[in-house]
Amino acid sequence: MFEKNTSERVGAEQTVPDAARSEQAAVSIRHLSKSFDGVEVLRDVDLEVREGDVVTILGSSGSGKSTLLRCINWLEQPDRGSIHIGGQRIGVNDAGRPMPVRELARVRARTGMVFQSFNLWPHLNVLHNVTEAPIHVLGKSKTQAEAHARELLEKVGMSPKADAYPSTLSGGQKQRVAIARALAMQPEVMLFDEPTSALDPELVGEVLSVIRDLSAEGYTMVIVTHEMAFSRAVSDKVVFLDKGLIIEQADPETFFTNPSTERVRKFLEREES
Amino acid sequence: MSNWEILWSARDQFWSGFFSTMEIFGLSISAAFLIGCGMLYLLEGSRPRLTVPLRVVIDGMRMLPFLILAYLLYYGLPAFDIRLDAWWSGVGALAVYHGCYFAEIFRGTRLTFPPGQVEAAKAHGFTKGKMFFRLILPQIVMQTRPLLGNQLIYALKDTAFLVIITVQELTAAANSLSGTYFIPTEAFIVVIGFYWAVSVVMEIIIKQCGRFSAKRGFDNV
Amino acid sequence: MNASAWQMLLEGAWTTVWISGVSIAMGVTAGLMLALIRLARIPVIDQILVLYISLARATPLVTLALFIFLSAPTFGINLDRNVAGILALTLNTTAFNAEIWRSAFRNFSRDQREAAMAAGMTPWVTFRRIMLPQMMITSLPGLINEMSFLIKGSPAIAVIGIVDLTRVTNRISAVTYEPLPPILVACALYMAAIGCLVWLQRIAERRANRLAV
Repeated sequence: MFEKNTSERVGAEQTVPDAARSEQAAVSIRHLSKSFDGVEVLRDVDLEVREGDVVTILGSSGSGKSTLLRCINWLEQPDRGSIHIGGQRIGVNDAGRPMPVRELARVRARTGMVFQSFNLWPHLNVLHNVTEAPIHVLGKSKTQAEAHARELLEKVGMSPKADAYPSTLSGGQKQRVAIARALAMQPEVMLFDEPTSALDPELVGEVLSVIRDLSAEGYTMVIVTHEMAFSRAVSDKVVFLDKGLIIEQADPETFFTNPSTERVRKFLEREES
Repeated sequence: MSNWEILWSARDQFWSGFFSTMEIFGLSISAAFLIGCGMLYLLEGSRPRLTVPLRVVIDGMRMLPFLILAYLLYYGLPAFDIRLDAWWSGVGALAVYHGCYFAEIFRGTRLTFPPGQVEAAKAHGFTKGKMFFRLILPQIVMQTRPLLGNQLIYALKDTAFLVIITVQELTAAANSLSGTYFIPTEAFIVVIGFYWAVSVVMEIIIKQCGRFSAKRGFDNV
Repeated sequence: MNASAWQMLLEGAWTTVWISGVSIAMGVTAGLMLALIRLARIPVIDQILVLYISLARATPLVTLALFIFLSAPTFGINLDRNVAGILALTLNTTAFNAEIWRSAFRNFSRDQREAAMAAGMTPWVTFRRIMLPQMMITSLPGLINEMSFLIKGSPAIAVIGIVDLTRVTNRISAVTYEPLPPILVACALYMAAIGCLVWLQRIAERRANRLAV
């Protein structure tokens, strides 16, 4: 009952009928629950991400925000609930069975993910990190993939390092390559899992500015982050998770200046100090 | 009579082959251990004129097949008027060969020792010999035990090479039985079972030593 | 040693090289396949493979070579000695290689696998394009080390009558009555071959370490 209430507090989108929602939303999450070893990490989470929107997910560590993000591309399998990417359900096929791996891979390819620890492939140079999936998943030609990769590396300011290997790059450079790698799949939605948490403070800015540019270009993005100022600047919607529940969901102005829950107010106070 | 019954009636031959192998193994591995410790002692400290030739011998041995060393002792030494029979050539070759491997294993671990311990011992007035036998050797042996265990299994397997220079051991027993009665499959299955059993027992013993060693805190050094 | 002795010696060396080479190639590939099968954890088959690996590690090569060569005819199979020798070496080295591959697979970075999955790669593409190239680099030092062990064990095939680099010294001394020179030359050749492998192993280790950064 308690969970139900909190999710109904969410707002206007709630009234849109289910079918219509799935069609227009880039990501539509419904009644998502997940536990690890009996501990509930996500509890009946509902979330809509419209095309072109930037949604940041905030919350203290252990609130389930990374798990939520990792459920979107099925790196974690939720126990209950459904996730649609551009109207297509991920992880479960029409017959209600677990998706065959090939089909799952195809749906995953509609999302791009940027990890906290970059996760570049160390045996490939920067350019090939970016072209690997377009060539071997999308079946692009080598020349086509490389031309696109060079454009993307230009965009993230990494084209001078196209031939370098990941081990020679700084954290900020690695993360910018990782962003280019995700963009190369021309995803419908970009997922960022604490993209600056593993970086030295002086390198955070270069990565955030790349993400800010992407938001200006109209990319649909879901970002888990600890950077409050950044969240306020880029978001169309801020979501606050606490113990696996979405307890606040609002536009950034309202969220940061006039939060409706005590929990968020405390969180913001602590972050400011 | 079934093949297995034939083997059973010839069990004495297996046993004598088995004991012969264990005798060779036990004797040579003990000697190898002493050789390894001796080389470690000589490598320890201030004898650069000895260190270089020792390292050459150790590295050289590790680049040779065991059998060629046995050949060298058995067929080659008579050129210097030293005649060893097959058995002693085999034991000698095993001892020297695996002694060098032991020395290398010890040396590798010795390099990772913090110098503080040795300095503390010196400060307490330990002599070099005492320090080596009371302090360094026990720690090294306990720490290298998994590698030593592997080396023991290699040494056991190398004893089978000696059949080629006509030593009467376990594999030779299987070979002669299979020739006499023409039951090679059964004979060799039994013999492989022997080798396997000894290896498994050695592995268990090494693991038990591990428990003892963990209790004494050797692994934390 | 005269010219014909040298020629015999080189022939023996060649026998050692090609038989070892074939066994290494087969053992590395078969080891990879066994490692993959073991990762699938198929009941019964997994237990059989564990038993095989345990037996192969404990069985002396000499014994294995004799076993294969002598018992094949009792099953109506007529094995050429070279084939029996290769089979013995391969069965032995495969067990060790399987363990090397398996540990490379198990230690493979979960993060990198997730990155591949997130990019829409199927498990097969992930294995072929992301994991295998790196597993080859990280396993190579261990595999080369195992190659040295195989060459050091290769004189075992002399027991079934193959004239390899060790055995040929007997043949030569039967003519010259001087066993020491051919044995010493054989020693030098073994050292050269294994020395090469040790050197390659060092290079491979350096490459593997670079990947780990």
